Amino acid sequence: MSLHEHAERTTTRDAPIIEVRNLQTAFFTEKETIRAVDGISFDIRPGETVGIVGESGSGKSVTARSLMRLVDAPGRILEGSSVRFTHLETVREYASTFAGRTVDLSALEETYDPVDLFERNEIDATPAAFGYEHAHEVSLADIVAAGYGDELGIVDEGDCIFITDGTPDSPDAIADGFIEITRLSGEAQRRIRGGRIAMVFQDPLTSLNPVYTVGNQIKEALRLHQGIKGDAATREATALLEAVGIPDARRRVNEYPHQFSGGMRQRAVIAMALACDPELLICDEPTTALDVTIQAQILDLLAELQETRDLAMMFITHDMGVIAEIADRVNVMYAGEVVETADVNTLFADPSHPYTRGLLRSIPGQQTGDRLETIEGNVPTPNEPATSCRFAPRCPEAIDECETVHPVSVPVDEDEPDHTAACLHCPTQLSTDQAVEMHRRRNATRNGGDLE
Amino acid sequence: MSRWRYFFKRLLLSVPVLFLTMTFIFVLLRMGPVDPVAARLGPQATGAEAERMRERLGLNDPLWEQYLDFVTSFLTFDLGQSWVVFSGTDVTTIVAITGPPTLWLGFWAILLPLFIGIPLGFYAGLRPNSGGDYLASVSGILWQAMPNFWLCIMILAVLRQTHGGGWLGFDWYTFGPEIRSITGTPDLAFLSINSIETGLITVPLLTGVDWGALAVDIKLILPPALVLGSASMAAELRIGRTAILETINSNYVVTAKAKGLKDRVIIWKHVFRNAMIPLVPVITNEAFLLIGGSVIVESIFNINGLGNAFFQAMTQGDLPLAGALLFIFTLIIIFLNILQDLLYTLIDPRVGYDR
Ligand code: SF4
Repeated sequence: MSLHEHAERTTTRDAPIIEVRNLQTAFFTEKETIRAVDGISFDIRPGETVGIVGESGSGKSVTARSLMRLVDAPGRILEGSSVRFTHLETVREYASTFAGRTVDLSALEETYDPVDLFERNEIDATPAAFGYEHAHEVSLADIVAAGYGDELGIVDEGDCIFITDGTPDSPDAIADGFIEITRLSGEAQRRIRGGRIAMVFQDPLTSLNPVYTVGNQIKEALRLHQGIKGDAATREATALLEAVGIPDARRRVNEYPHQFSGGMRQRAVIAMALACDPELLICDEPTTALDVTIQAQILDLLAELQETRDLAMMFITHDMGVIAEIADRVNVMYAGEVVETADVNTLFADPSHPYTRGLLRSIPGQQTGDRLETIEGNVPTPNEPATSCRFAPRCPEAIDECETVHPVSVPVDEDEPDHTAACLHCPTQLSTDQAVEMHRRRNATRNGGDLE
Repeated sequence: MSRWRYFFKRLLLSVPVLFLTMTFIFVLLRMGPVDPVAARLGPQATGAEAERMRERLGLNDPLWEQYLDFVTSFLTFDLGQSWVVFSGTDVTTIVAITGPPTLWLGFWAILLPLFIGIPLGFYAGLRPNSGGDYLASVSGILWQAMPNFWLCIMILAVLRQTHGGGWLGFDWYTFGPEIRSITGTPDLAFLSINSIETGLITVPLLTGVDWGALAVDIKLILPPALVLGSASMAAELRIGRTAILETINSNYVVTAKAKGLKDRVIIWKHVFRNAMIPLVPVITNEAFLLIGGSVIVESIFNINGLGNAFFQAMTQGDLPLAGALLFIFTLIIIFLNILQDLLYTLIDPRVGYDR
């Protein structure tokens, strides 16, 4: 993929607003290194809801926090990870505000050729680590975004805005580029939070500050991100509370969080996120703490808001039923990896990974008892680079090779490139032996580039 | 508003507390081991003389009448006369003399920890497990571990050493405003108050402050206040540190971060106010302890205060004085309690809200 093609792609309506590539977030404790997120990739487009589903411990929340850069020590995003925020207006704004941290990649491209760099072994990774089979498919943007540009001396430590079409000298004329979220720090990092990517957390009871009124906390976001102050801010906050379906908003804007019920509080939290006017809204299990009827109301509300505001949304849940209602595309996560990805209809009609099938069988209503009761055991802690299928101990379809070969994400079958699964039984058009061989080969090329 | 209704409920609750205390003091005075007549006239007082004294003191009236008399006189601040310590002097006069130095001492003993302990605790909590944190925490523990009486003596010894230019030429006596003795009662005459007669009432008017005298009074009170406040300082440091750590890891602080707020705003607006909530009872409880502690500190630093007076009254069986002082201490404690409720009500909107 050349820069030119990339530029064309982003001008279409379907261009992603955020591109996650090989994201790895690990927690370094004295005892072990927990690879909570272990090399996941996905995109989110405006107006689209991407669901991330998996049991607790599968790395969903860490993924969300990595996107917001809210991972605290001892956790850290590893080299080789890339999260690109490609919203053009934001890129232009950043390029003019943080001119010193902006890099013109199109100019660099003339001097550095990725194929050359791979051949001369100047990059401590293989094309497979970037998700490609061949070196010529890897762009300089991929290399720089993943953090290998520093070693090559191409970019400085603080650089985080990369222009692929246009020049940093005239920010308004930039046609393509991205902000590399994993490289952000300080003020540039702070400005992504809220205003570009906002987040709704799981527990509405604790995610509002108890000593300030709900209105105060919404107005705080309004002032910060939209510059609205004073009476205008109060009016806007009231309007937002109305928009999220809080009755008697004029009075409630002056009430404290403890005077709100759980569902109302989550609505207020959503209003607060909207007050930031984000491009992407991350919802981390926003309905888990609520009872079923209220859960449905909140889901409706989110779907409606997304429609009217053309928000990109990332929705995290462990509940397949919720996914069915809200998501357009689904990533199924297990032990830090995305094991299957597909659009929501395909996923429910034709689940290809045994783990997905297990989750589907456990949708409440389809049977009685606890959630996920059909999958015995727990998610293992991913503390080593994977050399086997992490689901193997619980997998009803496991074969011997599952213990020795790490399955990589491959298209489930040829005609559906957007439906991928990481299971040795895929791709389905191959015989199991052939498929295992393919995974083994892909691993061999990839392992050279594995980190640590 | 329900939080203010809660506050007034708490306010009303102090009335029964007040009456309970007065009853307790009454019982102590009337039924305690000390016979008032013997205390006044000596144990060998004769029958007739003792009888006259009984009559004068109202001891022959029915008990309920005595109780009513007692309560009304206490409530109107007619606290009677001292028997032994300042024999024959009105208790109110004694309190007017000994009260201000104690209040001055207490004021600084609360203020110093407040402005040293809490900032240090917050500092340590914001940088957990750093060098600064360890230094602050360890010195806090050491400071608290040293008993007051010992600290008093050590501080006196060290400061006396500096007389006439000690270590590095530092002399506490001449450092800043000059003082002749490092112990003694601050005279608190730095405010000049003139009264204006308006016919009906006299209005006291502050006409000037003698800054030099104020400086001397502060300098004189700093060492004993530092000792008296040492326990509070350490407690506030410790609780402050924990409170910050707990608050900073709470979900609403993460939410605030995710909103894109500046670190400065997060700390000052979202962390500090919540971290103050667990500190309120610590501050007021430590203030209660000051009352007990002031007895030791006042006698070592030779301050003529309430604590000192109470100590003498107790050891010499001066019951009216002891009872009156006890009553005043109760008033102070009730006042502190009200202050605590007020602080809670101001800081935490959840006060009085239960569902
Ligand atoms: S790779 Fe093997 S163990 Fe893993 S999901 Fe597929 S069949 Fe099951």
